[in-house]
Amino acid sequence: MKITFPYWGNYTIAFKTLFKKLGLDVVPPEKTNPRAIEDGAKISPEMYCLPLKINIGNYLSAIKRGADTIFMVTSLGGSCRLRYYGAIQEKVLSDAGYDINFIVFDQTPKDIYKKIKEVSGASFWQIIKAGWFFYEKLRLIEKLEKMANYLRPRERIKGGTDKILMQAFLDLDKINIKKELAEFKKEIEQKISKIEIDKEKVVPKVGLVGEIFTVSDGAVNFGIEEKLGKEEVEVHREMDITYHLKKRVFPWKDWLIQRKINPYLGSTVGGHGRDAIYEMLNYVKKDFDGLIQLLPFGCMPEVTIRPILQKIHLKSGIPFLSLSLDEQAAEAGINTRIEAFVDVVKNYHNKKKKI
Amino acid sequence: MTIGIPKALFYWKEPFSAGAHGGHFWKTFFENLGVEIILSPETNKEIIEKGVKVSDPETCFATKVFLGHILWLEGKVDFVFVPRLKTNEEKLEYCPKFFGLPDLAKILVKTPILTETFDVRKDHYLSTHPKKGIPTYLTKALWRLGKKLGIDNKKIKKSTDSAFLKEKKSREKQKENFFRKIKSEKQKIVLISHPYNLYDDYINVGMKKKLEKLGAEVIFIDEVPIEGQGTRDKGRRLNYPEFHWEFGKEIMEKIEEILKYSFSGAIEVSSFLCGCDAVLKEFVEKAFKENKIPFLYLIIDENTADAGLQTRLEAFIDTLH
Repeated sequence: MKITFPYWGNYTIAFKTLFKKLGLDVVPPEKTNPRAIEDGAKISPEMYCLPLKINIGNYLSAIKRGADTIFMVTSLGGSCRLRYYGAIQEKVLSDAGYDINFIVFDQTPKDIYKKIKEVSGASFWQIIKAGWFFYEKLRLIEKLEKMANYLRPRERIKGGTDKILMQAFLDLDKINIKKELAEFKKEIEQKISKIEIDKEKVVPKVGLVGEIFTVSDGAVNFGIEEKLGKEEVEVHREMDITYHLKKRVFPWKDWLIQRKINPYLGSTVGGHGRDAIYEMLNYVKKDFDGLIQLLPFGCMPEVTIRPILQKIHLKSGIPFLSLSLDEQAAEAGINTRIEAFVDVVKNYHNKKKKI
Repeated sequence: MTIGIPKALFYWKEPFSAGAHGGHFWKTFFENLGVEIILSPETNKEIIEKGVKVSDPETCFATKVFLGHILWLEGKVDFVFVPRLKTNEEKLEYCPKFFGLPDLAKILVKTPILTETFDVRKDHYLSTHPKKGIPTYLTKALWRLGKKLGIDNKKIKKSTDSAFLKEKKSREKQKENFFRKIKSEKQKIVLISHPYNLYDDYINVGMKKKLEKLGAEVIFIDEVPIEGQGTRDKGRRLNYPEFHWEFGKEIMEKIEEILKYSFSGAIEVSSFLCGCDAVLKEFVEKAFKENKIPFLYLIIDENTADAGLQTRLEAFIDTLH
């Protein structure tokens, strides 16, 4: 049995080690590229949201390389279409003539544990250990991403951070032992501390909100974080896997968020709809210079709350850009919009400084 | 005090499927409370144009029409009524776009919005009234709604009962109607969609009339009677996932029911960018394909042309012979 799973930005590295540690034969997904998106869009339902089409594209390339089992995590507690990803993807693949074993995980520890045990036959301790190793790796990846967002606008040699980061992710991919991971952590910290930066530089700050997959996968959003970093803008993003996991483990966080956004939205709208409003209000409070919302075209929760985000934008004056991505989105178009937006952000920032 | 009710989305929705078959739930309820109401008119070109202008370009066509109705009511009434429908009595959810409707209406118009949440999970009362057959969570939510308007308990109770009674009667009438239609010797065509697309003639470009002119008997999927809950889950023949959307489960069950009768073809109508239909269509199409029944999928939006639709319907009817 050879398993594969959808590609999800740099987090793919962590997922890969998790399955490898469990003793499974893994065919790692190829990095999402225009061809994979095109192939996926060809056989998926036309009106479905982008992540599904991308996932299908990832599967197709993995199937070509010999994968016969697919792992997919869906949310059986949510209100949006993510709930039917498993069912639809299975149908799409079988309609296209692929004979694939499809294993769908619900986002509950019990279900994940049960199914992993069934598939891999690993012992309880092995699963716990693999899970912990996965979490440590994930935390490191997220930390590196966050650090890079701080370093990029301040670095003295352009592109220095990205060079180190890229090498770091390649090295991290190979690490499978806990001891090595600890050493790697030290090493990478040293490397990063050697990057020359201008600490006193005041740079405009931009918040990134929106749908979790498009926001955190650089291959889908055309590397928006790097692009903004190169334009000397500091990017802040709260949405990542740890944030999502924390919300699953501590459900009262939703309640706290709801209390904060009550004047704008009285209930959940599925997905991370509420979180986007909460984050935007936070960023406005922290005196940020801009806000970008990323969403797949037609994403139900994000589209529903977009008028509310626009309302906050009009009320507070913070520059706001909403980018919806679909299989036809072109990098050149996105680049132009981001460049124009950066100009607006910088103007806004300078104007504020003068006052 | 006047209350405005937009004739869109929730107005046609279960369990209050208002104007759909003459029940007029909300109208009866508010009028019995002694409140004057103004219904927005049938959807027309002006309403759609207004709605499309103000709404998010990526939201579904039905929501755009809804916002058009809200704009029509602005300034004409003291309150605009927009309930927040969350779950029905089977603990199944409505479309997530329904959850945010009151908030979207609130930022659009200056007229205050009258709203109330209908959620079984919030009001832990699952049991239904033994005699009247009204789910208790609904009675509770309607009571809160009445209290917001400052009306005494007795009156609220009375108008809730009478509104439900009327609703029940119209449902029985609908059932009779269905059995009359199914016995007809004309070509029978099943129209599958959400009630707000089916019953609003302007939105679906008069599809029913067009099909009738072509000599077909039109059966709305909404009219197909199904037995009460519990008995439904047994003996499922079609293969579809466990839907958490009330309309998803309902439509699939009704399709299963109608497949027991004979009919010539099926047409699914979907609003442009309806996220839920993207999921549902896959399984609806599969159900008819497996049973070898001709199936047509139509997407409607503000640009749908009368002539284009006519051609497609004619072609579809021709293939049935």
